[in-house]
Amino acid sequence: MNIAIQGTGMTQFGERWGLSPRALARDAVQQAIADARIEKKHIQAMYVANMLSGMLGMQGHLGALFAEELGLSIPAYTIEGACASGGLALHTACLSILSGEYETVLVLGVEKMTDHKPEQVSSALMGAGSNEERLAGATFPALYAMLARSHMDTYGTTEKDFASVAVKNHFHASLNPKAQYQKVLSLEQILHSPYVADPLKLLDCSPVTDGAAAVILSKKTTSHGAKIVASQVATDTLGLAERKSLTTLVATAQASQKAISQAGISLSDVDVVEIHDCFTIAEILALEDIGFTKKGEAGDLVTRDAFTLGKAKRTVVNTSGGLKGCGHPVGATGVKQLVEIADQLRGRCAHRQIHDAAVGMTHNVGGTGATVVVHIVKKE
Amino acid sequence: MLSPVKIWRNQKYIAKRLNRTGKILSWSFVRVPPEGFSEQAPYFIAIVALSKSERICTQVVDVVKTIAIGQKVKTVLRRTIDVSHDGVIPYGIKVKQL
Repeated sequence: MNIAIQGTGMTQFGERWGLSPRALARDAVQQAIADARIEKKHIQAMYVANMLSGMLGMQGHLGALFAEELGLSIPAYTIEGACASGGLALHTACLSILSGEYETVLVLGVEKMTDHKPEQVSSALMGAGSNEERLAGATFPALYAMLARSHMDTYGTTEKDFASVAVKNHFHASLNPKAQYQKVLSLEQILHSPYVADPLKLLDCSPVTDGAAAVILSKKTTSHGAKIVASQVATDTLGLAERKSLTTLVATAQASQKAISQAGISLSDVDVVEIHDCFTIAEILALEDIGFTKKGEAGDLVTRDAFTLGKAKRTVVNTSGGLKGCGHPVGATGVKQLVEIADQLRGRCAHRQIHDAAVGMTHNVGGTGATVVVHIVKKE
Repeated sequence: MLSPVKIWRNQKYIAKRLNRTGKILSWSFVRVPPEGFSEQAPYFIAIVALSKSERICTQVVDVVKTIAIGQKVKTVLRRTIDVSHDGVIPYGIKVKQL
Protein backbone atom coordinates (compact mmCIF):
# COMPACT_ATOMS: atom_id res chain seq x y z
CA MET A 1 0.00 0.00 0.00
CA ASN A 2 1.25 3.45 -0.88
CA ILE A 3 -1.20 6.28 -0.30
CA ALA A 4 -0.03 9.85 0.02
CA ILE A 5 -1.13 12.00 2.93
CA GLN A 6 -1.63 15.16 0.92
CA GLY A 7 -2.78 17.45 3.72
CA THR A 8 -3.94 17.43 7.34
CA GLY A 9 -5.91 19.70 9.65
CA MET A 10 -7.42 19.68 13.10
CA THR A 11 -9.32 22.06 15.32
CA GLN A 12 -8.41 23.04 18.81
CA PHE A 13 -9.73 20.19 20.99
CA GLY A 14 -11.74 20.99 24.12
CA GLU A 15 -15.07 22.40 25.31
CA ARG A 16 -16.03 24.29 22.16
CA TRP A 17 -19.45 25.52 23.28
CA GLY A 18 -19.43 28.39 20.78
CA LEU A 19 -18.97 26.15 17.75
CA SER A 20 -21.38 23.83 15.93
CA PRO A 21 -20.33 20.52 14.34
CA ARG A 22 -20.49 22.34 10.98
CA ALA A 23 -18.09 25.03 12.20
CA LEU A 24 -15.68 22.46 13.64
CA ALA A 25 -15.71 20.51 10.36
CA ARG A 26 -15.17 23.64 8.27
CA ASP A 27 -12.15 24.64 10.37
CA ALA A 28 -10.44 21.22 10.10
CA VAL A 29 -11.20 20.77 6.38
CA GLN A 30 -10.05 24.28 5.42
CA GLN A 31 -6.72 23.62 7.14
CA ALA A 32 -6.35 20.28 5.34
CA ILE A 33 -7.17 21.78 1.92
CA ALA A 34 -4.70 24.63 2.44
CA ASP A 35 -2.03 22.19 3.59
CA ALA A 36 -2.64 19.90 0.60
CA ARG A 37 -2.28 22.86 -1.77
CA ILE A 38 -5.26 21.71 -3.81
CA GLU A 39 -8.57 23.29 -4.62
CA LYS A 40 -11.80 22.08 -3.05
CA LYS A 41 -13.05 20.91 -6.47
CA HIS A 42 -10.30 18.28 -6.62
CA ILE A 43 -11.89 16.29 -3.77
CA GLN A 44 -13.78 13.42 -5.38
CA ALA A 45 -15.34 11.68 -2.36
CA MET A 46 -15.70 12.22 1.36
CA TYR A 47 -15.76 9.87 4.37
CA VAL A 48 -17.21 11.25 7.59
CA ALA A 49 -16.31 9.52 10.85
CA ASN A 50 -18.75 10.07 13.71
CA MET A 51 -20.31 8.02 16.48
CA LEU A 52 -22.75 10.10 18.56
CA SER A 53 -24.48 12.63 16.30
CA GLY A 54 -27.54 10.42 15.79
CA MET A 55 -27.93 9.63 19.48
CA LEU A 56 -27.03 12.99 21.06
CA GLY A 57 -27.73 15.55 18.35
CA MET A 58 -30.57 13.65 16.60
CA GLN A 59 -28.71 14.30 13.36
CA GLY A 60 -27.97 11.48 10.97
CA HIS A 61 -27.13 11.67 7.26
CA LEU A 62 -23.75 13.28 7.97
CA GLY A 63 -22.21 12.54 4.56
CA ALA A 64 -24.69 14.80 2.79
CA LEU A 65 -24.69 17.32 5.66
CA PHE A 66 -20.96 17.99 5.60
CA ALA A 67 -20.77 17.84 1.79
CA GLU A 68 -23.39 20.60 1.79
CA GLU A 69 -21.45 22.57 4.42
CA LEU A 70 -18.29 22.39 2.32
CA GLY A 71 -20.16 23.33 -0.84
CA LEU A 72 -19.39 20.03 -2.50
CA SER A 73 -21.71 17.73 -4.40
CA ILE A 74 -19.69 14.52 -4.29
CA PRO A 75 -20.20 10.95 -3.02
CA ALA A 76 -20.15 11.25 0.79
CA TYR A 77 -20.45 8.53 3.40
CA THR A 78 -20.77 8.25 7.18
CA ILE A 79 -18.58 5.59 8.79
CA GLU A 80 -19.40 4.44 12.32
CA GLY A 81 -17.28 2.07 14.38
CA ALA A 82 -17.66 3.60 17.85
CA CYS A 83 -14.39 5.25 18.93
CA ALA A 84 -12.65 3.56 15.97
CA SER A 85 -14.88 5.44 13.48
CA GLY A 86 -11.94 7.64 12.45
CA GLY A 87 -9.63 4.72 11.76
CA LEU A 88 -12.37 2.88 9.88
CA ALA A 89 -13.10 5.93 7.72
CA LEU A 90 -9.39 6.21 6.86
CA HIS A 91 -9.31 2.50 6.00
CA THR A 92 -12.38 2.85 3.79
CA ALA A 93 -10.89 5.91 2.09
CA CYS A 94 -7.66 3.99 1.39
CA LEU A 95 -9.68 1.16 -0.18
CA SER A 96 -11.56 3.63 -2.38
CA ILE A 97 -8.26 4.95 -3.75
CA LEU A 98 -6.86 1.43 -4.20
CA SER A 99 -10.01 0.49 -6.13
CA GLY A 100 -8.99 3.00 -8.77
CA GLU A 101 -12.27 4.90 -8.52
CA TYR A 102 -10.85 8.06 -6.90
CA GLU A 103 -7.53 9.89 -6.88
CA THR A 104 -8.15 12.39 -4.09
CA VAL A 105 -10.50 11.91 -1.14
CA LEU A 106 -11.27 13.66 2.13
CA VAL A 107 -11.60 11.96 5.52
CA LEU A 108 -13.31 14.05 8.18
CA GLY A 109 -13.67 12.98 11.81
CA VAL A 110 -15.99 15.13 13.88
CA GLU A 111 -17.67 14.86 17.28
CA LYS A 112 -19.63 17.28 19.48
CA MET A 113 -19.90 15.89 23.00
CA THR A 114 -19.92 18.72 25.55
CA ASP A 115 -23.37 20.09 24.57
CA HIS A 116 -24.96 17.25 26.53
CA LYS A 117 -25.31 16.10 30.13
CA PRO A 118 -22.58 13.68 31.32
CA GLU A 119 -25.01 10.79 31.99
CA GLN A 120 -26.48 11.22 28.48
CA VAL A 121 -23.00 11.11 26.94
CA SER A 122 -22.15 8.10 29.09
CA SER A 123 -25.30 6.26 27.94
CA ALA A 124 -24.74 7.16 24.29
CA LEU A 125 -21.15 5.89 24.44
CA MET A 126 -22.53 2.59 25.75
CA GLY A 127 -23.94 2.18 22.24
CA ALA A 128 -20.48 0.72 21.57
CA GLY A 129 -21.04 -2.08 24.09
CA SER A 130 -23.38 -5.06 24.24
CA ASN A 131 -27.05 -5.01 25.25
CA GLU A 132 -26.20 -7.08 28.32
CA GLU A 133 -23.61 -4.51 29.39
CA ARG A 134 -26.13 -1.68 28.99
CA LEU A 135 -28.75 -3.50 31.08
CA ALA A 136 -26.15 -4.13 33.80
CA GLY A 137 -25.58 -0.37 34.10
CA ALA A 138 -22.03 -0.68 32.84
CA THR A 139 -20.17 2.42 31.70
CA PHE A 140 -16.97 2.48 29.65
CA PRO A 141 -14.93 3.39 32.71
CA ALA A 142 -16.44 0.32 34.44
CA LEU A 143 -15.69 -2.02 31.53
CA TYR A 144 -12.07 -0.87 31.32
CA ALA A 145 -11.92 -1.01 35.12
CA MET A 146 -12.69 -4.73 34.90
CA LEU A 147 -9.87 -5.15 32.37
CA ALA A 148 -7.63 -3.17 34.75
CA ARG A 149 -8.51 -5.30 37.77
CA SER A 150 -7.90 -8.48 35.81
CA HIS A 151 -4.49 -7.14 34.70
CA MET A 152 -3.61 -6.23 38.32
CA ASP A 153 -4.68 -9.69 39.48
CA THR A 154 -2.74 -11.54 36.76
CA TYR A 155 0.44 -9.45 36.44
CA GLY A 156 0.65 -7.39 39.63
CA THR A 157 0.11 -4.12 37.75
CA THR A 158 -0.57 -1.25 40.17
CA GLU A 159 -2.68 1.91 40.28
CA LYS A 160 0.62 3.81 40.21
CA ASP A 161 1.44 2.13 36.87
CA PHE A 162 -1.90 3.36 35.50
CA ALA A 163 -1.24 6.88 36.84
CA SER A 164 2.19 6.93 35.15
CA VAL A 165 0.50 6.65 31.75
CA ALA A 166 -1.52 9.79 32.55
CA VAL A 167 1.59 11.63 33.79
CA LYS A 168 3.41 10.90 30.51
CA ASN A 169 0.49 11.80 28.25
CA HIS A 170 -0.30 15.03 30.11
CA PHE A 171 3.39 15.98 29.83
CA HIS A 172 3.15 15.48 26.06
CA ALA A 173 -0.17 17.38 25.94
CA SER A 174 1.50 20.30 27.71
CA LEU A 175 3.62 20.68 24.56
CA ASN A 176 0.66 20.51 22.15
CA PRO A 177 -1.11 23.85 21.57
CA LYS A 178 -4.20 22.06 20.23
CA ALA A 179 -4.61 19.74 23.23
CA GLN A 180 -7.59 20.03 25.57
CA TYR A 181 -5.41 19.93 28.71
CA GLN A 182 -2.09 21.66 28.14
CA LYS A 183 -0.88 21.10 31.66
CA VAL A 184 1.40 18.74 33.48
CA LEU A 185 -0.18 16.52 36.14
CA SER A 186 1.77 14.93 38.98
CA LEU A 187 1.55 11.28 39.98
CA GLU A 188 0.04 12.39 43.32
CA GLN A 189 -2.67 14.49 41.64
CA ILE A 190 -3.75 11.50 39.57
CA LEU A 191 -3.57 9.02 42.44
CA HIS A 192 -5.63 11.37 44.64
CA SER A 193 -8.37 12.00 42.11
CA PRO A 194 -11.73 10.39 42.99
CA TYR A 195 -12.65 6.88 41.86
CA VAL A 196 -15.09 6.75 38.94
CA ALA A 197 -15.22 2.96 38.58
CA ASP A 198 -12.70 1.26 40.88
CA PRO A 199 -9.78 0.82 40.31
CA LEU A 200 -10.00 3.62 37.70
CA LYS A 201 -10.04 7.21 38.90
CA LEU A 202 -11.19 10.40 37.23
CA LEU A 203 -7.68 11.17 35.97
CA ASP A 204 -7.27 7.65 34.52
CA CYS A 205 -10.06 8.52 32.07
CA SER A 206 -9.91 10.47 28.81
CA PRO A 207 -12.19 13.51 28.80
CA VAL A 208 -15.37 14.44 26.94
CA THR A 209 -14.28 16.58 24.00
CA ASP A 210 -15.46 18.57 21.00
CA GLY A 211 -13.24 18.55 17.95
CA ALA A 212 -12.66 17.68 14.32
CA ALA A 213 -9.73 16.41 12.28
CA ALA A 214 -9.36 16.09 8.52
CA VAL A 215 -6.98 14.34 6.16
CA ILE A 216 -6.73 14.52 2.38
CA LEU A 217 -5.46 11.28 0.87
CA SER A 218 -4.23 10.92 -2.67
CA LYS A 219 -2.86 8.25 -4.94
CA LYS A 220 -0.15 10.64 -6.16
CA THR A 221 3.32 9.35 -5.40
CA THR A 222 4.71 12.80 -4.65
CA SER A 223 3.06 13.50 -1.34
CA HIS A 224 3.83 16.23 1.13
CA GLY A 225 6.16 14.13 3.24
CA ALA A 226 4.18 11.16 4.55
CA LYS A 227 2.47 8.11 3.09
CA ILE A 228 0.25 5.35 4.47
CA VAL A 229 1.93 1.98 3.88
CA ALA A 230 -0.45 -0.24 5.86
CA SER A 231 -4.10 -0.09 6.92
CA GLN A 232 -5.65 -3.01 8.79
CA VAL A 233 -8.86 -3.70 10.71
CA ALA A 234 -9.76 -6.50 13.14
CA THR A 235 -12.92 -7.18 15.14
CA ASP A 236 -13.84 -9.10 18.28
CA THR A 237 -16.99 -9.69 20.35
CA LEU A 238 -18.92 -6.55 21.31
CA GLY A 239 -19.15 -7.52 24.96
CA LEU A 240 -16.30 -8.23 27.37
CA ALA A 241 -18.03 -11.28 28.84
CA GLU A 242 -17.75 -13.20 25.56
CA ARG A 243 -13.94 -12.84 25.46
CA LYS A 244 -11.59 -15.68 26.35
CA SER A 245 -9.13 -13.29 28.00
CA LEU A 246 -9.66 -10.16 30.08
CA THR A 247 -5.99 -9.17 29.92
CA THR A 248 -5.50 -9.06 26.14
CA LEU A 249 -7.37 -7.28 23.36
CA VAL A 250 -7.02 -9.89 20.62
CA ALA A 251 -8.14 -7.48 17.88
CA THR A 252 -5.21 -5.17 18.75
CA ALA A 253 -2.74 -8.04 18.31
CA GLN A 254 -4.37 -9.15 15.04
CA ALA A 255 -4.64 -5.73 13.40
CA SER A 256 -1.13 -4.66 14.39
CA GLN A 257 0.50 -7.92 13.25
CA LYS A 258 -1.25 -7.69 9.88
CA ALA A 259 -0.25 -4.03 9.50
CA ILE A 260 3.41 -4.69 10.35
CA SER A 261 3.48 -7.51 7.84
CA GLN A 262 1.77 -5.36 5.19
CA ALA A 263 4.25 -2.51 5.74
CA GLY A 264 7.22 -4.88 5.64
CA ILE A 265 8.75 -3.36 8.76
CA SER A 266 9.60 -4.66 12.21
CA LEU A 267 8.13 -3.14 15.35
CA SER A 268 11.52 -1.78 16.39
CA ASP A 269 11.44 0.47 13.28
CA VAL A 270 8.54 2.47 14.73
CA ASP A 271 9.72 5.88 15.98
CA VAL A 272 6.38 7.21 17.12
CA VAL A 273 2.98 5.68 17.83
CA GLU A 274 -0.38 7.14 18.76
CA ILE A 275 -2.05 4.56 21.01
CA HIS A 276 -5.75 4.56 21.92
CA ASP A 277 -5.47 5.49 25.61
CA CYS A 278 -9.16 6.10 26.34
CA PHE A 279 -8.20 4.90 29.83
CA THR A 280 -4.71 4.48 31.25
CA ILE A 281 -5.12 0.68 31.32
CA ALA A 282 -5.88 0.80 27.57
CA GLU A 283 -2.38 2.10 26.79
CA ILE A 284 -0.80 -0.62 28.94
CA LEU A 285 -2.86 -3.32 27.20
CA ALA A 286 -1.98 -1.93 23.76
CA LEU A 287 1.76 -1.64 24.44
CA GLU A 288 1.73 -5.34 25.34
CA ASP A 289 -0.74 -6.56 22.69
CA ILE A 290 1.02 -4.74 19.83
CA GLY A 291 4.30 -6.17 21.15
CA PHE A 292 6.25 -3.11 22.31
CA THR A 293 6.70 -4.94 25.63
CA LYS A 294 6.20 -8.43 26.98
CA LYS A 295 2.86 -9.21 28.64
CA GLY A 296 2.72 -7.74 32.12
CA GLU A 297 5.74 -5.44 31.71
CA ALA A 298 4.24 -2.29 30.18
CA GLY A 299 3.21 -0.64 33.45
CA ASP A 300 6.68 -0.86 34.92
CA LEU A 301 8.29 0.42 31.71
CA VAL A 302 5.95 3.42 31.45
CA THR A 303 6.79 4.24 35.08
CA ARG A 304 10.47 4.26 34.11
CA ASP A 305 9.82 6.73 31.22
CA ALA A 306 10.56 4.14 28.50
CA PHE A 307 8.03 5.79 26.14
CA THR A 308 8.37 9.46 27.15
CA LEU A 309 9.52 12.22 24.80
CA GLY A 310 13.19 13.03 25.37
CA LYS A 311 13.72 9.94 27.51
CA ALA A 312 12.62 6.98 25.38
CA LYS A 313 15.42 4.93 23.85
CA ARG A 314 13.22 3.88 20.96
CA THR A 315 9.49 4.39 20.34
CA VAL A 316 7.76 7.46 21.80
CA VAL A 317 4.10 6.90 22.66
CA ASN A 318 1.32 9.49 22.28
CA THR A 319 3.24 12.68 21.52
CA SER A 320 -0.09 14.48 20.94
CA GLY A 321 -0.98 13.85 24.58
CA GLY A 322 -3.09 10.89 23.50
CA LEU A 323 -6.81 10.70 24.13
CA LYS A 324 -6.02 11.37 27.77
CA GLY A 325 -4.35 14.77 27.43
CA CYS A 326 -5.22 15.94 23.91
CA GLY A 327 -8.87 14.95 24.28
CA HIS A 328 -11.19 12.33 22.83
CA PRO A 329 -13.90 13.56 20.45
CA VAL A 330 -14.72 9.94 19.75
CA GLY A 331 -15.42 9.98 15.99
CA ALA A 332 -12.53 12.36 15.32
CA THR A 333 -9.89 10.55 17.35
CA GLY A 334 -8.72 8.04 14.73
CA VAL A 335 -8.27 10.81 12.17
CA LYS A 336 -6.47 13.05 14.69
CA GLN A 337 -4.03 10.21 15.43
CA LEU A 338 -3.03 10.14 11.76
CA VAL A 339 -2.73 13.94 11.72
CA GLU A 340 -0.28 13.75 14.65
CA ILE A 341 1.81 11.00 13.06
CA ALA A 342 1.94 12.80 9.69
CA ASP A 343 2.96 16.01 11.48
CA GLN A 344 5.75 14.15 13.32
CA LEU A 345 7.09 12.62 10.10
CA ARG A 346 6.92 16.02 8.39
CA GLY A 347 8.80 17.68 11.26
CA ARG A 348 5.96 20.05 12.16
CA CYS A 349 5.55 19.27 15.86
CA ALA A 350 7.71 22.08 17.32
CA HIS A 351 8.33 21.46 21.04
CA ARG A 352 7.14 17.86 20.93
CA GLN A 353 9.00 16.96 17.70
CA ILE A 354 10.87 13.66 17.64
CA HIS A 355 14.22 14.06 15.92
CA ASP A 356 14.31 12.33 12.52
CA ALA A 357 11.07 10.39 12.91
CA ALA A 358 10.71 8.15 9.85
CA VAL A 359 8.11 5.48 10.73
CA GLY A 360 4.88 6.05 12.66
CA MET A 361 1.87 4.01 13.70
CA THR A 362 -1.70 4.67 14.84
CA HIS A 363 -3.80 2.35 16.99
CA ASN A 364 -7.52 3.15 17.16
CA VAL A 365 -9.97 1.13 19.28
CA GLY A 366 -13.77 0.94 19.21
CA GLY A 367 -15.58 -0.17 22.36
CA THR A 368 -13.50 -2.43 24.58
CA GLY A 369 -11.58 -3.74 21.57
CA ALA A 370 -14.47 -4.93 19.38
CA THR A 371 -12.97 -2.93 16.51
CA VAL A 372 -9.28 -2.10 16.18
CA VAL A 373 -7.74 -0.20 13.28
CA VAL A 374 -3.98 0.13 12.80
CA HIS A 375 -2.22 2.34 10.27
CA ILE A 376 1.50 2.53 9.53
CA VAL A 377 2.92 5.70 8.00
CA LYS A 378 6.33 6.31 6.48
CA LYS A 379 8.21 9.50 5.82
CA GLU A 380 8.71 10.22 2.14
CA MET B 1 -34.52 2.68 23.64
CA LEU B 2 -35.85 -0.20 25.71
CA SER B 3 -39.20 -0.92 24.05
CA PRO B 4 -41.82 -3.21 25.65
CA VAL B 5 -41.36 -5.60 22.71
CA LYS B 6 -37.64 -5.86 23.36
CA ILE B 7 -38.28 -6.48 27.06
CA TRP B 8 -40.74 -9.25 26.14
CA ARG B 9 -38.32 -10.80 23.63
CA ASN B 10 -35.57 -10.97 26.26
CA GLN B 11 -37.68 -13.03 28.69
CA LYS B 12 -36.46 -16.33 27.25
CA TYR B 13 -32.82 -15.45 27.98
CA ILE B 14 -33.71 -14.56 31.56
CA ALA B 15 -35.39 -17.92 32.19
CA LYS B 16 -32.29 -19.81 31.02
CA ARG B 17 -30.10 -17.99 33.49
CA LEU B 18 -32.14 -18.24 36.64
CA ASN B 19 -31.08 -20.48 39.52
CA ARG B 20 -27.47 -20.77 38.36
CA THR B 21 -24.21 -20.47 40.24
CA GLY B 22 -21.00 -18.91 39.02
CA LYS B 23 -17.68 -17.31 39.84
CA ILE B 24 -16.53 -13.67 39.66
CA LEU B 25 -13.78 -13.19 37.04
CA SER B 26 -13.39 -9.43 37.42
CA TRP B 27 -15.36 -6.56 38.94
CA SER B 28 -15.70 -2.83 39.41
CA PHE B 29 -17.68 -0.44 41.57
CA VAL B 30 -19.66 2.06 39.48
CA ARG B 31 -19.83 5.45 41.19
CA VAL B 32 -20.87 7.50 38.14
CA PRO B 33 -23.81 5.72 36.47
CA PRO B 34 -25.31 6.11 33.00
CA GLU B 35 -28.88 7.38 32.46
CA GLY B 36 -31.53 5.20 34.09
CA PHE B 37 -29.30 3.90 36.90
CA SER B 38 -28.87 6.90 39.19
CA GLU B 39 -31.23 5.46 41.85
CA GLN B 40 -29.08 2.34 42.13
CA ALA B 41 -25.62 3.97 42.18
CA PRO B 42 -23.11 3.26 43.47
CA TYR B 43 -23.23 -0.44 42.59
CA PHE B 44 -20.95 -3.42 41.96
CA ILE B 45 -20.62 -4.83 38.46
CA ALA B 46 -18.82 -8.02 37.43
CA ILE B 47 -17.96 -10.48 34.70
CA VAL B 48 -19.25 -13.82 36.00
CA ALA B 49 -18.53 -17.29 34.63
CA LEU B 50 -21.66 -19.46 34.88
CA SER B 51 -19.89 -22.34 33.12
CA LYS B 52 -16.71 -22.84 31.09
CA SER B 53 -18.26 -21.33 28.00
CA GLU B 54 -20.95 -19.05 29.44
CA ARG B 55 -20.01 -15.68 30.90
CA ILE B 56 -22.18 -12.70 31.70
CA CYS B 57 -21.73 -9.04 32.57
CA THR B 58 -24.02 -8.24 35.46
CA GLN B 59 -24.58 -6.30 38.68
CA VAL B 60 -23.71 -7.86 42.02
CA VAL B 61 -26.42 -7.03 44.60
CA ASP B 62 -26.78 -7.39 48.38
CA VAL B 63 -23.01 -7.24 48.71
CA VAL B 64 -21.59 -7.92 52.14
CA LYS B 65 -18.62 -5.54 52.60
CA THR B 66 -16.90 -6.03 49.23
CA ILE B 67 -16.39 -8.59 46.49
CA ALA B 68 -13.33 -10.35 45.10
CA ILE B 69 -12.16 -12.26 42.04
CA GLY B 70 -12.94 -15.95 42.50
CA GLN B 71 -15.97 -15.46 44.79
CA LYS B 72 -18.95 -17.76 44.23
CA VAL B 73 -22.27 -16.16 43.29
CA LYS B 74 -25.81 -17.20 42.32
CA THR B 75 -28.16 -15.61 39.80
CA VAL B 76 -31.28 -13.73 40.96
CA LEU B 77 -34.13 -11.88 39.21
CA ARG B 78 -34.04 -8.10 39.76
CA ARG B 79 -35.23 -4.88 38.19
CA THR B 80 -32.51 -3.64 35.84
CA ILE B 81 -33.04 -0.10 34.53
CA ASP B 82 -35.57 2.64 35.45
CA VAL B 83 -39.15 2.02 34.32
CA SER B 84 -39.62 2.91 30.64
CA HIS B 85 -41.97 5.61 29.29
CA ASP B 86 -44.44 2.84 28.49
CA GLY B 87 -44.58 1.82 32.13
CA VAL B 88 -43.06 -1.62 31.70
CA ILE B 89 -40.71 -2.61 34.52
CA PRO B 90 -37.61 -4.23 32.99
CA TYR B 91 -36.37 -7.27 34.89
CA GLY B 92 -33.13 -9.12 34.31
CA ILE B 93 -30.42 -11.26 35.83
CA LYS B 94 -28.17 -10.03 38.62
CA VAL B 95 -26.05 -12.06 41.00
CA LYS B 96 -25.52 -12.19 44.76
CA GLN B 97 -22.75 -13.70 46.82
CA LEU B 98 -23.20 -17.27 47.97
